Amino acid sequence: MANEITHGDAGVPRRDFLLLAAGALGAVGVVSTIWPFIDSLEPAADTIAAGAPIDVDLAPVKPGQQITVVWRGRPIFILRRTPDELKELQSPSDTTLLRDPNSEVDQQPEYAQNWHRSINPEFLVVVGICTHLGCIPMFEPRGSALMDASWPGGYFCPCHGSKYDLSARVFAGVPAPYNLPVPPYNFTAKDRITIGENPKGSDWDFSSVEQI
Amino acid sequence: MAPPGPGAANGRITRWIDYRLPFVKVMHHELYEYPTPRNLSYWWNFGSLAGAMLVIMIVTGIFLAMYYTPNADLAFDSVERIMRDVNYGWLLRYIHMNGASMFFIVVYIHIFRGLYYGSYKYPRELLWMLGVVILLLMMATAFMGYVLPWGQMSYWGATVITNLFSAIPGVGHDIVTLLWGGYVVGNPTLNRFFSLHYLLPFVIVAVVGLHLIALHTHGSNNPLGIDHKGPGDTIPFHPYYTVKDSFGLAVFLLIYAVIVFYAPNFLGDPQNYIPANPLQTPPDIVPEWYFLPFYAILRSVPNKLFGVILLFSAIGVLFILPWLDTSPVRSAKFRPVYKKIFWLLVIDVLALGWVGAHPPEGIVVTVGRIATFYYFLHFLVLFPLIGKLERPRPLPLSIGAAVLGGGSVPVAERG
Amino acid sequence: MARLLIAAVAASALACAAVGLARAEDGASAPAHQEWSFQGVFGTYDEAALQRGFQVYHDVCSACHPLKHLAYRDLEAIGYTPAQVKGIAAQYQVTAGPNDQGQMFQRPAQPSDMFVGPFPNDEAARAAENGALPPDLSMVVKAREGGPDYVYGILTGFVKAPAGFKETPGTYYNATFPGHQIKMPPPLTADGQVKYTDGTKATIPQMAHDVATFLSWASEPNLDERHRIGFRVILFLVVAVGVLYAAKRRVWSRLH
Repeated sequence: MANEITHGDAGVPRRDFLLLAAGALGAVGVVSTIWPFIDSLEPAADTIAAGAPIDVDLAPVKPGQQITVVWRGRPIFILRRTPDELKELQSPSDTTLLRDPNSEVDQQPEYAQNWHRSINPEFLVVVGICTHLGCIPMFEPRGSALMDASWPGGYFCPCHGSKYDLSARVFAGVPAPYNLPVPPYNFTAKDRITIGENPKGSDWDFSSVEQI
Repeated sequence: MAPPGPGAANGRITRWIDYRLPFVKVMHHELYEYPTPRNLSYWWNFGSLAGAMLVIMIVTGIFLAMYYTPNADLAFDSVERIMRDVNYGWLLRYIHMNGASMFFIVVYIHIFRGLYYGSYKYPRELLWMLGVVILLLMMATAFMGYVLPWGQMSYWGATVITNLFSAIPGVGHDIVTLLWGGYVVGNPTLNRFFSLHYLLPFVIVAVVGLHLIALHTHGSNNPLGIDHKGPGDTIPFHPYYTVKDSFGLAVFLLIYAVIVFYAPNFLGDPQNYIPANPLQTPPDIVPEWYFLPFYAILRSVPNKLFGVILLFSAIGVLFILPWLDTSPVRSAKFRPVYKKIFWLLVIDVLALGWVGAHPPEGIVVTVGRIATFYYFLHFLVLFPLIGKLERPRPLPLSIGAAVLGGGSVPVAERG
Repeated sequence: MARLLIAAVAASALACAAVGLARAEDGASAPAHQEWSFQGVFGTYDEAALQRGFQVYHDVCSACHPLKHLAYRDLEAIGYTPAQVKGIAAQYQVTAGPNDQGQMFQRPAQPSDMFVGPFPNDEAARAAENGALPPDLSMVVKAREGGPDYVYGILTGFVKAPAGFKETPGTYYNATFPGHQIKMPPPLTADGQVKYTDGTKATIPQMAHDVATFLSWASEPNLDERHRIGFRVILFLVVAVGVLYAAKRRVWSRLH
């Protein structure tokens, strides 16, 4: 009973330009309408502004001590390493344990791509988030009661047992694939750093790291 | 002779699905070949526009809810954060805020179209009543949505409207306390209004589903108000009405866009950009424009309880409309007297709107009372009376005959 | 079609008239209309006026009125450099903490901080201002009938009361303010009260106009973007209406 009046179909070319244009306009309209909705899900202006660089005073940190500060909601580990520890980081007894001893994977700015993974060898600054599945590793110095006797000191992730040395370089044979990322930072004084800001002359983009 | 169109159940996968769940088949039947009177005018576009508005409101609302905070201390600031800091937040909010107005414009026109062409009459009584249910749900949703920004008008609007229930003898006070969840409109009220404001649109979707099932049972009414009897009276919904509805939608979106982008606050009240202050009532409280006629009816009676009863009766009377109308003819086209009082009703409702926007003093009160009286006179007295007394003009034999010529009565203009 | 169009136009005209009527009768003396760069379809904020207006707010209004919904970083949108914004923010102290000893402490504001108001809370404001609460200005243009015209009207409306007008002590006669008795003392009192950095002559009307422009921006910072996107959307829809109308005609022509 429905379709008796379809006789016009024969008279009109199947590929009608007008109808195609109308359909195309509709598609363009729908797609461009979706954009504001998607973009609204991106971080808002105040959220981005809250991720501004922070200043940290390193003077109170004693050799061998680690502090945690928060930048963009993430824990940043700042470790002041002793001369012994720095020596250990360069010895084969440490480096042979590692997956990426030379920091070849992009997990740090170019100014921290060295054996100590930092600007000043004394201070390690890394994002304290395991590259496996995002847990927070624990700082376990050499001789920690929780680790076995051969432990050289470093970070241990309680979730799945990933291990990192005192330069936050990941061990081989653990689930975590990469070294802990180093955030952009720069020394504004001898013992003051600004996290979130590159040193002059560098325009490294933190979002370019392989994984956080 | 249905052409094997793109939606027809002819593919192997669609056949597999349709054997188990006749989704494609039903959609094809209801949106593609659905026989629709060939003479629908542009006034019939407003149903699909209302559907489009419902979708727009739900989608923008879901995104806004991701940034909105339903807490009396934070709500106003969270809306301002949406307006300033969230990417395109201002756009989402202005679309949603003005969407309420656009939705009501569309639905009111849709209702008046139904009144003019007798779309509520046999066999579409339930279709009409479901429509009134949708209107009620829309009003509740709009009212609670207006409370969410927690501005001065939000707060005092909520206070005044919830206090309507205090007019109920005996238990009124207890009911109001129950609605508020406190001594006054406050944080618990805001929380529950947000919850319901998010829920009710989905209830509306369900009732709209029933509305559509009822519609497709007997098909659309049409400007002539006569039943479609044969194939010559109808055309398939697609492509004729899909393209016509798309055109209507584009015109509607154009008007909507002008408001959203160039006059987003024209329909709003500046007072609502002042944070709610429970200790200070704004100089004149006015509801949003779409409630003004009802607000005027409420205020036209000096008695609190009677005013509230009248307010609810104004919508309640629409429920029994199919039984108040005694005319054998649907369309006002063939009802010379009803046509006149229909336009009187339109003027009456506009007058009520004007009255609702003004402080109840002097002439405003008089106009309000006359208009309220006429509103009920129209439905309760004139409606049944005219149906009996009026002599309708002769009806055309069929839709096809009237449109294509050769009917008993040549219809001069096509709707 | 034509009939429907006429009906639609008539209905919207009627609705607009009704709303307009409702508005007009509220304030007996609607503020006189001024010219604003941000009016109209292509209207945008005038950056120089915004910066001058900020100067007026900063030097005059901010002594009593907060600007709660703005952050210092927002000032970059009116042409200040990040360094300038940092400098402006650093003039203010915000409470932060607790520190390692559990104490709250004061630190200079940063660009991400919201504007610091003149009073710690409303009660302190009332206590300092003879019981009157200076309203927050971040929404004032949207929260008043007349918008920028109202703000301009208030700031330039401190005139001599007409003979026979009974003034309540502690109020000032203002031609624009509803009821004409405002508790705010005239804020702009002399030409040159603000030293504009761009060399514009700071007359009272100039300062009032600039600060009203700035406060319009504070109320509606996305206006420029809204007008820009709106023009494109409307252009698109006009084309869509045309094409769809033609398509509708084409499809329906099969019936005749």
